[in-house]
Amino acid sequence: MTRSGFRKWIWLHKWSSLICTAFLLVICLTGLPLIFQDEIGDYFDDALPYAAVPAGTPAVSIDSVVAASRAMFPKEAVLFVFVDDDEPKIVVTMAPSWQAWAANRKSSHWIRFDAHTGKVLKASKPFNQDGIRFLDVMLRLHRDLFADLPGELFLGTMGLLFVIAIVSGAIVYSPFMRRLDFATVRTDRSRRTRWLDLHNLLGVVTLAWLLVVGLTGVINELSTPLFALWQRTDVKAMLAPLQGAPVPSANELSSPQAALETAKAAAPDMVATSIIFPGSPFGSPYHYLIWTKGHDTLTSRLFSPILVNARDGTLTARVTMPWYLRALEVSRPLHFGDYGGLPLKIIWALLDLVTIVVLGSGLYLWLSRRALPFRRSGSESRIARSAIVTAPAE
Amino acid sequence: MSGARSFVRIWRWPLLLAALTCFGLLAALLGGGGLWWPLAWLALGIPLATIAFGVCGARRTKA
Repeated sequence: MTRSGFRKWIWLHKWSSLICTAFLLVICLTGLPLIFQDEIGDYFDDALPYAAVPAGTPAVSIDSVVAASRAMFPKEAVLFVFVDDDEPKIVVTMAPSWQAWAANRKSSHWIRFDAHTGKVLKASKPFNQDGIRFLDVMLRLHRDLFADLPGELFLGTMGLLFVIAIVSGAIVYSPFMRRLDFATVRTDRSRRTRWLDLHNLLGVVTLAWLLVVGLTGVINELSTPLFALWQRTDVKAMLAPLQGAPVPSANELSSPQAALETAKAAAPDMVATSIIFPGSPFGSPYHYLIWTKGHDTLTSRLFSPILVNARDGTLTARVTMPWYLRALEVSRPLHFGDYGGLPLKIIWALLDLVTIVVLGSGLYLWLSRRALPFRRSGSESRIARSAIVTAPAE
Repeated sequence: MSGARSFVRIWRWPLLLAALTCFGLLAALLGGGGLWWPLAWLALGIPLATIAFGVCGARRTKA
C-alpha cells in the first residue's frame, strides 16, 4: 500500500466510524437485552399457566377461539390468529377494524388462549394501556429511534457506514501490524498505544461476526420497503383478477379452522403458524392468508403464504416468495443470534460487548489524537512511519 | 520484535478466526442440531478466547 493510499483508507475509516459511532453504541446497548428477549419476556409474563393435559390432547378449533374473542369484543374485528408450534397457545389479535389498525397499530390488542382447553390465559389492553414495556423501548431505539420508516432508513445508513468502517479498518490493519506479532498489546508504551493495539486486536478477531451482524442489520432495516415492493408487484398481480369484487363482510367469512386445514393439505411438509384475516394492508381483502414455515433451523425461518378464499374456503394459491424477501428472512437469525440455544445467545452478548469496546476505543483514539505528537516516543513514531513506508504498493 | 511481516503472516490468524466464525454461524443454522450446536459454540468461542488471551497477556506484561 502506498503512503497516499494508506492515508485515504485511514480517512475513510475515521469518518465512516465517527459518523456512525454514537448510533452504533445505542444499537449495541439496546441490542444486548434484545438478544435475551424471549427469556426476559417469559420471566416477566404474568399469564395463567397452561393446563396440564395428557399427551396427545388435540388442540381446540380456531373457530371456537375466534367465536370466544368476538363474544368478548363484539364491536371489534379479528385481525389475525397466531398458532404457536412451540407452546400450547393460540393468540387472537383484534382491533376496531383493519383501517383503525393501519392508522394506529396501538389500537390492536390480543387475547391468549390455552390451545388445549380454549381457556383465556391473558388479555392485553389496547393503546399501550398495559404500560410501555422495557423491551419495546429497547426494540424501538434499536430499530428506528421511535421514528418509524425514516428512522429505519437512517439507522440502516448508519449500519452501512459501520460496514464501510469495518472494511476500511481491515485494510489499514496490515500496515499497523508490519512489525508486530498477532495479538500483541504493547503495555510498555503510552496508554494510547495500548488502546490502539486493543482496538486492532478486538476488531480483527471479531471481523467476520461484525460484518455478518452489520450487513444483516442493514438488510433488516429494509424490511418495510421490501415488503411494500412485494405488495405492489407480486401480491397486486395475484389479486388483479378479483379487482372490484365485493369484499366479504365478517358474517360471510368461511371457517378459519377449515381454511387452516385446506392450507395444511396444500402444504403437508409445512407448519401453519398464523391466519391473517381478510382486509390486511399486507394481505388480501378476499382471502385468508395463512403463513407456513418449514421444520429445520433454517427453513423454520422461511415463511410461505397460502391464500384461501375467505368466502367459499377453497384453495387459491400457494405463493412463492421473491428472492429479496428470502434474503431478508435468512438475515434475521444471523442478526438475532437466536438459532443455536442459550450458549449462542451468550456468545452473541459477549461479541456485542466486544463491539462496544471497539467503538469506545476507536472514539478514544480519535479524541486523544492531538496529544499524539507530544506523548509519542521517538521509537513509536519511527514504527508508525516505517509501517506506512514499508507497506508494499498494492 | 523482528523485521517486517509478510501479508500472509499478518493475516493467517485473523483469517483462520474469520473462517471459524463463518463455520460456527453456518453450523448452527444449517447443521440441523445434534452435534452441530456444540461445534458452533466451540468455533465461535475461539475468537472470544483469543481476545481473553490477548488482554490477559497484556495485563501480565504490564505487571
